[in-house]
Amino acid sequence: MKVDRIFIFGYSPRSLFLTKSLQSKKFKITIVVSNRGQYEDARKDGFVDIITIDMRDDTQLASLRATKEDTLVCVMEDNHFNVFLTLSLHFIYPENKIIALSDSFHVTQKLKMAGASKVIDLYQVSSNRIYNILNKPVATHFIDSLLSFEDELSLREITIPENSFLDKIMVDDFNFSEHGIILIGMIDKRLSKQFLFITSGLEHRLDRGDVLVCMGYNDNLDKFEKFIID
Amino acid sequence: MSFKNIIIKIAFYLYNNKTYKEVKKFFFNILQNPDYKYKKYFDSFMISLILVSIGILVYEVKHPVPLWVDNFDIYVVTFIFLLEYILRLWVYNDLHTLIIREHEESTFLNREFNIWSPIKVFFKGKWLHLTSPSTIIDLLAILPAYRPLRVLRIFVLFRVFKLLRYTKSIHQFIEVLATKRFELYTLLFLLLFIVLTAGISIYVFEEQKNPNINSLFDALYWALVTISSVGYGDISPVTHEGRVVSMMIIISGIAMISFVTSVIVSSFSEKLTELKENRIIEEINKNDSFIIICGYGQMTRMFLKNSNLLPYEYVIIEQNQERVELGIKEGYNVIHDDASKHDVISRFNISYAKITILALTGSDVNNIYISLNAKALSRNIKVIARASNKDMEKKCLLAGVDYVVLPNMAANHMLLFAITQPTIYRAIYNILTNQHLAHIDEVNTVTHLKLMGKRVDEIDFKGYKLLLLGIQASNDAPFCFNPPLDKIIEHDDILLIMGRKISIDYFQKRFQKA
Repeated sequence: MKVDRIFIFGYSPRSLFLTKSLQSKKFKITIVVSNRGQYEDARKDGFVDIITIDMRDDTQLASLRATKEDTLVCVMEDNHFNVFLTLSLHFIYPENKIIALSDSFHVTQKLKMAGASKVIDLYQVSSNRIYNILNKPVATHFIDSLLSFEDELSLREITIPENSFLDKIMVDDFNFSEHGIILIGMIDKRLSKQFLFITSGLEHRLDRGDVLVCMGYNDNLDKFEKFIID
Repeated sequence: MSFKNIIIKIAFYLYNNKTYKEVKKFFFNILQNPDYKYKKYFDSFMISLILVSIGILVYEVKHPVPLWVDNFDIYVVTFIFLLEYILRLWVYNDLHTLIIREHEESTFLNREFNIWSPIKVFFKGKWLHLTSPSTIIDLLAILPAYRPLRVLRIFVLFRVFKLLRYTKSIHQFIEVLATKRFELYTLLFLLLFIVLTAGISIYVFEEQKNPNINSLFDALYWALVTISSVGYGDISPVTHEGRVVSMMIIISGIAMISFVTSVIVSSFSEKLTELKENRIIEEINKNDSFIIICGYGQMTRMFLKNSNLLPYEYVIIEQNQERVELGIKEGYNVIHDDASKHDVISRFNISYAKITILALTGSDVNNIYISLNAKALSRNIKVIARASNKDMEKKCLLAGVDYVVLPNMAANHMLLFAITQPTIYRAIYNILTNQHLAHIDEVNTVTHLKLMGKRVDEIDFKGYKLLLLGIQASNDAPFCFNPPLDKIIEHDDILLIMGRKISIDYFQKRFQKA
């Protein structure tokens, strides 16, 4: 697993699902809280690794001793404090990935300026979902099933292994549909580390180490993964 | 069969007669229901007819008009006015429903059926209608058609008054003034008092000395002309006493005019917001479908920013005055009210329009109450509600909400993807936020007829730089993900495609119905 340890700053209903999902995925989670109430809530929900610190104090933040590979997640309820915390963390741990939660466009901008690598807007996805419900019901249903962890349809990252038959062939020369899956995009290591959608119109040559993002039923994705390894 | 039984039978016949009910409902809607979508056409037609009729009557004062124009005014215009008058009288109330109610009550209470009771109520209702100012105007507006009596032509004025029925702005002006009835009556009595006092004074002082004041009427006329600051100059005081009265009346006049102006201005400023809100509701009610957004917060702002709705396609209802002002400042249609109230939602055209309510307030309790209120008014209203967690989602669904959005959950999903599968996160982010790079859209064969009957491999999706994700058949069949190449696209199928926005637009244009 790429992520060694995840520090989640703040504990509230806003981030409860995330924290529980990460716990169920067997990540090493540390919840960092600033008051007794949040500490008690986290304990009640079954979390063990909880640290109470004053998050305004850089010395206490530095004492967490996060390594470069650790992910720092800022989900404080107070936007002002969340931005301040992001800035402090970026100052203390400049090489770490910082992911923050925002609730408006303006806060998103500030979090990015403060050094967050990724900012998730609390309402952007939902407001788009409402738009889709009103205008694209079939697409809404499809996207819902794609994102639902309980559904069989999903997206998966598949890395092309060494000596794979996919190495050095053009994307158009391989029929993914025959395997019941759709290739929607990839990270072409030769070109850049940017994610490219297959519909962008560029001709891609597949190489070992490239990451393919495929859409399909879990059975078909499993079979395909096994197929390219074998 | 007794007379009473025949009447009851006729009443039940009319009550159960679908055609009769539909015809009456149609005329009621077109004449009385401001939310009925065809009423505006009827109103415009009547306004044109009134203007034409006034034009004819005014023109023929000094010029001879052709006979056919005169006949048009006498027979066509008057006939339509008369027909409207009769129809309004007809749709005002129902005798058969009153008879049935009386019959049911008398049967239930084991008392004798009294036919005169519903008839009395019926005629009382009709009398109320006939004596209402607008109906009297309608009747008087018919009179100018009677040519032998030229004096009746003065009633052409009532045709102008008849315009009040069809023009809302004049109606609203009168309504606003009516709210200041007390102040205006007080001023009117004060005016009468001053005019009367000044008139009598000038009459007493100058009747013998002023050749222009020969009667009390002349004196009152002078007082009114002076107090209104018109001052024709045909009558003016000639004595010192008379001039003193003049000075006093002029000062009172200035005060009176200032008072009247301030009363009218204040009544308008007080009612301005309400008038604006009424206008928003009237405008939106003219549409076949629209969205009512409850709550003006971050989510609503984000939704409006993404959806590019036109001003007549939505209205926001917000309880908090500060947020209302913010919304108006940001250019949105916001009204200050409580969407959980029955009266607020029932102001919208529930019977005829396709309404979607977005319950997006920050409180789960409010959102559920708004949803229940909407569903209680009409099951046809589509409700999309925001909930804070899974338990609330269940409660919303129990309350009849059609779709529930969970912002916390959605954002948490994205956080999870960002941490665990960063590559997928980029794809998902683009898809979920409708970015131009990765749009998922629907193409319906009903509107894109050229697709119908084609095999999947006959359409060059790759050439269009698109991915065909699947096909949803109309017959509730399960979604066909990654359809086989030999699948034939049928009528009513919906193709789910993914690609850049421009690719999708181009594809849709190419296969659109000619």
